[in-house]
Amino acid sequence: MSCRGKVMDYLDVRFGFRDLLHHNFTEYLLPRTINAWYALGAVLLVLFAIQFISGILLLVYYIPDTEHAFESVQTIMNDVPFGWLIRYVHAIGANVIVLALLLHLLSVLFMSAYKDPREITWVFGFLIFLTSLGMSFTGYLLPWSQLSYWATVVGTNMPEAVPVIGEELVLFLRGGPSVGQQTLSRFFALHVMGFPFIFGLLLFVHLFLVRRIGVSIPPFGPTYRPEPPPKEFRHPEYPGGIPFFPNYVTKDLAMIYLFLTLLMAVVFFAPWIFLPAQAFEPADPFTTPAGIKPEWYFLAPYQILRIFPNKTAGILVQLAFLLFLFVLPFIDRSMERRPARRPVFVSVFIITLLIFIGLTVWGSVS
Amino acid sequence: MKAKKTLTRRGFVAAVASAIAAGLAAASLWPVWEFLSPPKTREGQEQETAVVPLSNVGPGKAHFFEFQGHPSVVLQPSPGKFIALSAVCTHLGCIVEWRPREEIFFCPCHAGRFSPEGKVLGGPPPRPLPSYPVKVRKDQLIIG
Repeated sequence: MSCRGKVMDYLDVRFGFRDLLHHNFTEYLLPRTINAWYALGAVLLVLFAIQFISGILLLVYYIPDTEHAFESVQTIMNDVPFGWLIRYVHAIGANVIVLALLLHLLSVLFMSAYKDPREITWVFGFLIFLTSLGMSFTGYLLPWSQLSYWATVVGTNMPEAVPVIGEELVLFLRGGPSVGQQTLSRFFALHVMGFPFIFGLLLFVHLFLVRRIGVSIPPFGPTYRPEPPPKEFRHPEYPGGIPFFPNYVTKDLAMIYLFLTLLMAVVFFAPWIFLPAQAFEPADPFTTPAGIKPEWYFLAPYQILRIFPNKTAGILVQLAFLLFLFVLPFIDRSMERRPARRPVFVSVFIITLLIFIGLTVWGSVS
Repeated sequence: MKAKKTLTRRGFVAAVASAIAAGLAAASLWPVWEFLSPPKTREGQEQETAVVPLSNVGPGKAHFFEFQGHPSVVLQPSPGKFIALSAVCTHLGCIVEWRPREEIFFCPCHAGRFSPEGKVLGGPPPRPLPSYPVKVRKDQLIIG
């Protein structure tokens, strides 16, 4: 027997990894009709792994102090070898993650994959989405540039519209009457420890449920029939399905490389899309730059607040929408998942999506 | 007779995929390695000399400063004579202190003792303290 074989046998006796690989890779079958949208979960796992690694690397040089934060980021960009690459990958990767999260959320909605028995999987996925937005928002302030400073001033000012406790909320969020060292310290703590810890727990439950309950069967094609909700737990079975490895992993890899190509294309050729000139000026609490706007994924909520005559109503509408999405699996109880047979749902889905895109474009040009 | 090993299609694809994966891993790890490398290993960043104002080093006094990333010390044991040494004890890397009454460098960690010239007088240090050349230029000391 070869040396490699002996090592593998030795480890297998002690870890039982061949059995694990067999059950979870080659023997684990997925629906034959599975499509590329299902690979977005794997894409997100890879993108988040890149964020964690690049984030840890940035921590080596970043100084969370209002006097030194901007300077330390400039040192990373200009003096540390490949510092620009690590920083761009982290900053632009956050945007690509939000894009992938939105596509994942939309595809799950469109295919009604949130329905019984996957309601809890949806709930945890939705919480992961909110946590990721929290990570993006808190990370945005850390470079302490004009862009990050004023976007945070505007962002942290939003809860002021909440009746009764609004002002207290703003004070608590900022750690003081204005955005300053206290804000930077608490955003830093949340960004590097608080949110990642919560994120890890949520992700664990989400992935556990995906594996335990199984992925939903795509509601397309002549052979698909809606299944009644199960009365008791059963292991996922997909007769005639394709093995997770190598068949499905190949699809996953194709999508992962597509997103990595997108990320690297922006990093190398168009980083200015996400890092405009104001991102390279140190924060000045006494000079608000003209036309300050939040990140693209916060433009729609930002525009809603601008068009609503009452700020409180604008906030409440958005909270109601988020709550509606959160509890959707518990409201939408019908068995039918085929989009072609759900005209009302699909119409509302498309109209809502168009409104979101419209508000985002409006927010960016107005 | 030993059977001749033939390359299967699956083996070929696995080998090519592994080679690509190894290349990508190396390409990803190279920037990380460079990013984490300490500044002194980067080209052109080695500090060649240090400048200390003459007024900081009175007769019988020692002045501590950083040179080439290490704590260092310059001493005037007798008027007009200057000695510059590494302040890092050669035993386990603690920083020595100057004891003017005894006229020795003393390591507080394990009681190593060095002469003003850096020679080992007692204790566990295996080697003398490394010394640096000192030049007096007007009202400054140029070390290194």
